[in-house]
Amino acid sequence: MAINILIVDDSGVMRSMIIKTLRMTGVPLGDIHQAGNGREGLDVLGEQWIDLAIVDINMPVMNGEEMIDRMQQDPEMKGIPVIVVSTEGSKARIERLEHKGAVFIHKPFTAEVVRDTINSILGLGENDES
Amino acid sequence: MRAELEDIMSQVTIDTLEKLAFMFAFSDESGEDPPRDSTVAGSVSFTGPFSGTLIVMISIEVLQELAANMLGLDDGEEATQDHQFDALKETMNVICGNLLPAIAGDEVVFDINVPMVLPADQEMKKGAGIPDAHELSAKVNLDLDEGQCVLFLFLDGKISKGILLP
Repeated sequence: MAINILIVDDSGVMRSMIIKTLRMTGVPLGDIHQAGNGREGLDVLGEQWIDLAIVDINMPVMNGEEMIDRMQQDPEMKGIPVIVVSTEGSKARIERLEHKGAVFIHKPFTAEVVRDTINSILGLGENDES
Repeated sequence: MRAELEDIMSQVTIDTLEKLAFMFAFSDESGEDPPRDSTVAGSVSFTGPFSGTLIVMISIEVLQELAANMLGLDDGEEATQDHQFDALKETMNVICGNLLPAIAGDEVVFDINVPMVLPADQEMKKGAGIPDAHELSAKVNLDLDEGQCVLFLFLDGKISKGILLP
């Protein structure tokens, strides 16, 4: 099964880094979509079939937490798994995001952490990776 | 206190450059800064239990390598200036995001503002909009193969002993 992924980050360089990392993980990739903030991310979610959203927190226009809140209010989007990739260091803020169903990856990240997190959140086994 | 801050800042930056861009930095004990016109500088400010601004000044050659590595460019390919500035801002964001909990722990909350690239023709502290009252609380010089990276941490007042992790 190929996974369609949406990457939401205001840094184009970070989006490229995440794409480069995804290609190193062995996760079966389908279409990769990009957005520069939460508002654009919601637009993509409304138009495309997305299996996983990878979302930054600190972004202009609409931040990642508000995007996750909006997703939870939308029956079509609330079931989409979300990975937050951020520099956030506050335990309280990380727990608040986790209570909203997101899984947290801290920047800077490794390909192994990204791979294990995706496999865990999507329930992918080793047989699905090749 | 200053030496402790500088140790933390140095370690966080070395770790960030290695993990983010596969670049290896070492402490430069000479403390000599590169000429401003051979560098690009950026700043990121933050508020929380203590507030301040981190300025990162980086050799142009280091920035080119940083951006190329973050983007995964092949040898001979060069990142655009926009990508280089983006790479600097993202790197500052990651350094600052990891520096603050390394100083004060993960029980406290900081708000980190959007990083910016500083104008080359203006004094850095002024270009970053840092109030005169904010003091230079830590400075770290790092050496890399391609050049240098210098970090300046300006704080609004002193950090109380209690907030600094042992």
